[in-house]
Amino acid sequence: MSGRDRVLAALNHEEPDRVPIVIGASNATGMKVAPYHGLKRLLGLDSEDRYIYDWPELGTILPDEAVLERLHADVRGVFDSFPAATLARNRSRAPHGPFIDDWGSGQVEIEDGTWYPGIHPMADATTIDAIERYPWPDMDDPSRVAHVHDTAARLAADGRYAILATPWLLFPFERAFAMQGLEQFLLNLAVEPDFAEALLRAIADRCKALMGHFLAELGEDVDMIKIGDDLGTEQSLLMSPAMYRRILKPIHADYIAFIRERTKAKIFFHTDGDVFDLLDDLVEIGVDILNPVQSGSGKLGNLAEVKRRYGSRLAFCGAIDTQRVLPTGTPEQVRAEVRRAIGTLGPGGGYLLAAVHTIMNEVPPENILAIVDAAVEFGTYPIRD
Amino acid sequence: MADLSRLGVAIEDGDRDLAVELTLGAIAEGITPQAILDAMTGAMDVVGDRFQANLIFVPEMLVAARAMKEAMATLEPFLVQAGIRPEARAVIGTVRGDLHDIGKNLVAMMWRGANIEVIDLGVNVTAEQFVAAIETHHPDLVGLSALLTTTMASMRSIVGTLRSIDLGGARIIVGGAPLNAEFAAWIGADAFAGDAGAAVAVARQLLGLATGPGGSNGPGIGRAVQ
Repeated sequence: MSGRDRVLAALNHEEPDRVPIVIGASNATGMKVAPYHGLKRLLGLDSEDRYIYDWPELGTILPDEAVLERLHADVRGVFDSFPAATLARNRSRAPHGPFIDDWGSGQVEIEDGTWYPGIHPMADATTIDAIERYPWPDMDDPSRVAHVHDTAARLAADGRYAILATPWLLFPFERAFAMQGLEQFLLNLAVEPDFAEALLRAIADRCKALMGHFLAELGEDVDMIKIGDDLGTEQSLLMSPAMYRRILKPIHADYIAFIRERTKAKIFFHTDGDVFDLLDDLVEIGVDILNPVQSGSGKLGNLAEVKRRYGSRLAFCGAIDTQRVLPTGTPEQVRAEVRRAIGTLGPGGGYLLAAVHTIMNEVPPENILAIVDAAVEFGTYPIRD
Repeated sequence: MADLSRLGVAIEDGDRDLAVELTLGAIAEGITPQAILDAMTGAMDVVGDRFQANLIFVPEMLVAARAMKEAMATLEPFLVQAGIRPEARAVIGTVRGDLHDIGKNLVAMMWRGANIEVIDLGVNVTAEQFVAAIETHHPDLVGLSALLTTTMASMRSIVGTLRSIDLGGARIIVGGAPLNAEFAAWIGADAFAGDAGAAVAVARQLLGLATGPGGSNGPGIGRAVQ
């Protein structure tokens, strides 16, 4: 069975030959450079490092094909690009200077090679006027998507892997954090709700504009479109369910409808934290795949209940704990974590195995191999207890 | 007669203008600064309880803390005049390698709301900076925050350094998304606080302070502000 057929069966809530594995195909399912170097060392591979979005400051590797094959990765990623002018400006900036993206938000270097999103160009904005006056990026710049058609068409012609396509951070709520800072935007949701909603809508309009171009370039050559917004914390939600339903859910619903009008691809929705209390809402607005099922947080930790209540309506991608098991566990503990996730989420299909988030620098490469080898061992259908 | 319960509700609801107005009214009527302060800290206890019970969320907590801050600034000169001091002093920071600050900021806000003086060292704070702040400010509490698993090692190393100096009796509280009580104990911290509401209860417990006058430390009661 090809990786693509495996993924499509699972997304169709059928049991393929084994649980599909997602690693390396997006930022949220990707890995940082240190574990990647460790993997290459273990595998005796030598190749030049490449980064997703051609963006070393993000630090997420675009893995070499030989590494992906060893990892049994069933999905390949397609990404957009920063506008050519943004890339050129950043490449010619002073060493260790901040990376400013096309929206005006940016990253600063904390220590050598470690970047953090710390520049928020609308931090002080609280008025509709400030939104109207802001120099928003040009979403029609053709250099953003110039490569997308060829990349996707090549993968589709090859046919072995499912295609997960993700333009960078076309996530309205998270982009609002980038523009204002998390704390400032959350405060504005409470004290300046009209402004906060207008900002989200202004951002969502830009997200849709670029997504429209991106989808046009992809054509039929895509299986999953990744969007999202982090809505949860370890214990709860970032905002009340009532506030989500009032302000953000209509924006998400409209965005998903926009995408669905343009593609048959499944909607892969990334949202960190314990979002259990919003799962009915996400189903209602058309989410097909929930990522990352942050299994270390709150009610989402009860994978059996998540599968029982939502398993027929949502597929799941994620669930392998990145906060404790992967960085500090032994390979044996990683195997147990993989077995637990597969045993709970795997039966009947509907589960793509992945780490909860980007595999961080302190994760030993042995643990990454333990994930995928355990996934093959325990994920072969029929799943045994 | 100024109504201190209205002041409490104004803070809980995050109505900073009303909170300042009611504070000024209470002062004008000769209500003791201590009684006004108790009403304010009691309100923040209610806020913390509601947050822990998922009756309110970060936006409502931020807006309540902002109202508290402004009402407190209004009251401050009268507290000084009356010789009323904060109950304790804390130094807080996000550890080196990490710039995430909302969790740390929420804890600082809630500690201030409990009448604990807070010296906020910001983000990406080194062991040396913590040590210098401890030597300068002689805190009762040292709070360390980390969001990234990558910086848990940094937290461990900083706590190790703090354990090697004379802390003058200061107690170390750690918090942040990937942490838990076992990790806190393992790296040598005195306590783990799971969220900003818990941070107040944990601080009071470590310092042997009484529970605030208006609230409880248990799961919240009261109405949702949504």
